[in-house]
Amino acid sequence: MAKKQLVQIKVNGRNREAMVEPRLLLVHFIRGIPGLTGTHVGCDTTHCGACTVLLDGKTVKSCTMFAVQADGCELLTVEGLMQNGKLHPLQEGFKEEHGLQCGFCTPGMLISSYALLSKNENPSEEEIRWGISGNLCRCTGYQNIVKAVQYAAGKMEQGGKDDLPNIA
Amino acid sequence: MGHSIKRKEDLRFIQGKGNYVDDVNLPDMVYGHMVRSPYAHARLKGINTENAKQLPGVLTVITGEDLAKANLAWMPTLFFDKQMVLATGKVLFQSQEVAFVVAEDPYIAADAAELVEVDYEELPVLVDPHKALDPDAPILRDDREDKSNHIFHWEVGDRAATDKVFEDAEVKAKVHAVFQRCHPAPLETCGCVADHNAATGRLTIYLTSQAPHAHRTLFAIVGGIPENNIRVISPDIGGGFGNKVPIYPGYVCAVVASLTLGRPVKWIETRSENLQSTGFARDYHMTAELAATQDGKIQAMRVKTLADHGAFNAAAQPTKFPAGLFSICTGAYDYPTAFCEVDGVYTNKAPGGIAYRCSFRVTEAAYLIERAVDVLAQELKTDPVELRRKNFISPEKFPYKSPLGWSYDSGDYDAAMKVALDTIGYDALRKEQQEKRAKGELMGIGISSFVEVVGAGPAHTFDIAGIKMFDSCEIRIHPTGKAMCRMGTKSQGQGHETTYAQIVAQELGIPAADVTVEEGDTDTAPYGLGTYASRSTPVSGAATAMAARKIRDKAKKIAAHLLECSEEDLDWEPGKFFVKGAPSKAKTIQDIAFAAYTNMPEGMEAGLEAVDYYDPPNLTFPFGTYICVVDIDKGTGEVKVRRFVAVDDCGNIINPMIVEGQIHGGLTEGLAIAFMQQIGYDENGNVQGGTFMDYLLPTAVETPHWETGKTCTPSPHHPFGAKGVGESPNVGSPAAFVNAVVDALSHLGVKHIDMPIAPWKVWNILKEKGAVN
Amino acid sequence: MAMRIEKTFQVKEPIDQVWSLLSDPRRVATCVPGAKITEQVDEKTYKGTISVKVGPSATDYKGELEILRLDAENHEIEILGKGQDVRGRGSASMKMTGKLRSLEDGGTEVTSVSEVNVVGILAQMGSRVISEVSNIMFGQFVKNFQAQLQQPADAATGEAKPINAASLAWAAAKGAFHRQS
Repeated sequence: MAKKQLVQIKVNGRNREAMVEPRLLLVHFIRGIPGLTGTHVGCDTTHCGACTVLLDGKTVKSCTMFAVQADGCELLTVEGLMQNGKLHPLQEGFKEEHGLQCGFCTPGMLISSYALLSKNENPSEEEIRWGISGNLCRCTGYQNIVKAVQYAAGKMEQGGKDDLPNIA
Repeated sequence: MGHSIKRKEDLRFIQGKGNYVDDVNLPDMVYGHMVRSPYAHARLKGINTENAKQLPGVLTVITGEDLAKANLAWMPTLFFDKQMVLATGKVLFQSQEVAFVVAEDPYIAADAAELVEVDYEELPVLVDPHKALDPDAPILRDDREDKSNHIFHWEVGDRAATDKVFEDAEVKAKVHAVFQRCHPAPLETCGCVADHNAATGRLTIYLTSQAPHAHRTLFAIVGGIPENNIRVISPDIGGGFGNKVPIYPGYVCAVVASLTLGRPVKWIETRSENLQSTGFARDYHMTAELAATQDGKIQAMRVKTLADHGAFNAAAQPTKFPAGLFSICTGAYDYPTAFCEVDGVYTNKAPGGIAYRCSFRVTEAAYLIERAVDVLAQELKTDPVELRRKNFISPEKFPYKSPLGWSYDSGDYDAAMKVALDTIGYDALRKEQQEKRAKGELMGIGISSFVEVVGAGPAHTFDIAGIKMFDSCEIRIHPTGKAMCRMGTKSQGQGHETTYAQIVAQELGIPAADVTVEEGDTDTAPYGLGTYASRSTPVSGAATAMAARKIRDKAKKIAAHLLECSEEDLDWEPGKFFVKGAPSKAKTIQDIAFAAYTNMPEGMEAGLEAVDYYDPPNLTFPFGTYICVVDIDKGTGEVKVRRFVAVDDCGNIINPMIVEGQIHGGLTEGLAIAFMQQIGYDENGNVQGGTFMDYLLPTAVETPHWETGKTCTPSPHHPFGAKGVGESPNVGSPAAFVNAVVDALSHLGVKHIDMPIAPWKVWNILKEKGAVN
Repeated sequence: MAMRIEKTFQVKEPIDQVWSLLSDPRRVATCVPGAKITEQVDEKTYKGTISVKVGPSATDYKGELEILRLDAENHEIEILGKGQDVRGRGSASMKMTGKLRSLEDGGTEVTSVSEVNVVGILAQMGSRVISEVSNIMFGQFVKNFQAQLQQPADAATGEAKPINAASLAWAAAKGAFHRQS
């Protein structure tokens, strides 16, 4: 067994650290150390995207990264979207537009949509579909997820960027 | 009811605060990892667990031999067979469970699993079901008295009469259609946390289960544990689609490990394990024939099917139906004669099959008849819509007795067809197709007018492993007028926390926001058979209405007492009783609830609650017409779905938004099945669709925009006329997709293409017909 | 799954010299990366092992090699090799026919046709990985064979090292992308 090493990651604005084996997957770090179980494991071949998190502003599939690779980085997970008790417009959108059924893909979808909207404020339907093409869903057929993202884009346009949590 | 209220359960999911089984973490919890067979058929010569046991952090390694000492190496399946929990003697499919390692940490458990050494002697493999009954086929099941690979023969209908009709028929059409082995692949895999608490003597199992009560009873019977000491909790489930109906060896091993170690044991399977060893679906090899008159009147149907069940018959089906409700295969059409026979066989593949987002085997049936009707249309050189409309069962004929014994409750098939035709603009599309054909372009229109049978089911005919298929609801109204309801079903995303609340709101006038719905904890919820086969609304939804009406009866007595009048003087509108002719003299349900605890009539028991166990008088028969338009790229063989219109009739709807979401999801599954998915096996029994690399799920890019519509033909026997709808899209859509592709190529002489219709298949056909770009 | 692999290569050495190498299983085995003959059971059967690494997954097969046909006149050999993973994770078998042909320039053309069958976890990846791995192993075999030919017959070497895992995986991945179908 390889020697454990110290890993320090800022998760949703809070510093977290632990001694971990180099082979510990980032998704297991997130679910185990800060105990944030919103990020899910849905497959073992990097296809489903249920484990998607934002790492230093970029979406990554946390099942395909080691925790040690994220040492010194900043992470946003689904639990970090709500600010001061207020739902993020994306979260609101998913609720208003019925963008979820079983909820298992939802955290990954929210993070991917969040990343999409931060680069493209007013995406077309096609751009949204491409933007979430790394996230699989078995329940919704994606149609209402697209509507949820459009809802959020509209809301954010009105409300300005203050709604976005302050993560790099 | 009838309102698209937003879902109450969403709040926790959008915050990432769902509670799925893998989110359950108990103090002192340890982890299980399964060692699996690489061979499809082999004798188990020996297992060496010493190296694995020596690894620091490993607590135990359980083998089939260990389980055999407690008589647990085998367990009964849901269908009169037994299956190995851990292999003893031999292994029968690749990925079969061979040993269970338990360690302090899941990574150590995986390391230890690699250290388990198993000695196998390979045996000849059987993967082709058509060869299963050959005289020289390897016999797979040494444990059975009957040394053959034949599991069952089932038939229904009138063989002699049907054969006679075919002998004299003017026109005959035949199609051999394979519904390939596929897998529900819910995004959350199966798993459990088994926690035997030695201090209390209770075993709590957090379980990905669509039927928690049935599972509790089975664990009690199989494990010899008193049922009152078992608590099954199905928390949030990340999709089920039938995959979470069976009991899997991993669950049993986790329970045994917890009992042995006295610590909670978590076992969560990986995606590969899920695809390769858990409940697969379909694998029906079907031949259908239709006999008709020259002017297109269907007279009879004859069906012969070979069912591949894998190594164990672990079908999750009502016991009197080895082929499920497959006999619905006569479809939406009116003719008097039919015969159907099904033979089930064993092969060296994962055991099953389960009802994947359908009522048992109904998808196979709907696919078969809708393909057969199109083949008949081609034979008669008539329009497939015309042929269907000519043969639809007309509304006056309901309840309709089908030639294979079903009593369809209600239907207006032509109405749904008409809406679909108008929405898609059928005539214009046919014109367009003609023009395109003249230019050598490929475009197709596929119709599927399906009828399905759901809501299992009446006690006189239906039971799963002996337990009758009623379902239940318990409602309790608190003094301040809020309600708590528990049902015997278990949502895996269908929105029960919202829809059941809407039923209560409709029946009692208590706002849905004031109604809490709970499912899945066997300690508190009344007994039910769970959620699958679209049965929640028809059965448990009915129970909810009936329980609410019992409460209303008691409430009326209390109202009469409060208003100082007799019950006959009272009228009801949702939320209150009022004196006839004097509407201001009223008592709200909230007033009445308060009175039920503070001001009861003389001699009346306190409280305002009721429980109902509903035995449905019949099944329900949702139906619809789906129309699909495709364009085919001649250079690559790729099929693009240009438009898809789905018109569904599920009777009265509780929440249109939720129904629409279900349709979108089911159509996407149908798309995947038609074009992308197969769990294949090579001649050595190696699984070819064992990971998401090969078993493809559509992303948002492949999934087209779905157009939905509806008609409403209420079920005459259901308390509020509803039928159930979650599965219709998976049932009706494969035929629509396949019919569209065949239609695009029919002028080249193509009659049928088996799913999945991947680009290379189409391209090969185009090449063969000389039509490639 | 069954895969058919056909390979042809040329060597400078004359046909008889090549035949003396090809018809000697012990010496040929040393050319196969990761292979080792451990004992001779009878005149045409041998026991041996082979280690194959695909990416991080290492498999040690233990099995038998049988010479089905040895035709010195026509310079043809047919061998059947069968092995099981020692830890019980699968099996593989290969039936290979090797044929020699004299070339005009005095050299020899070696043609081999193999039918490979793999059972187990490795086979689930489908032919995409197995054929690439076979290609790479064969490439190494050819190099080793050519090197052996240049050495005197009695200089029996030990065993050829198994292919480096990383290079095998990387080359397989590259090959999978660039391969012509």
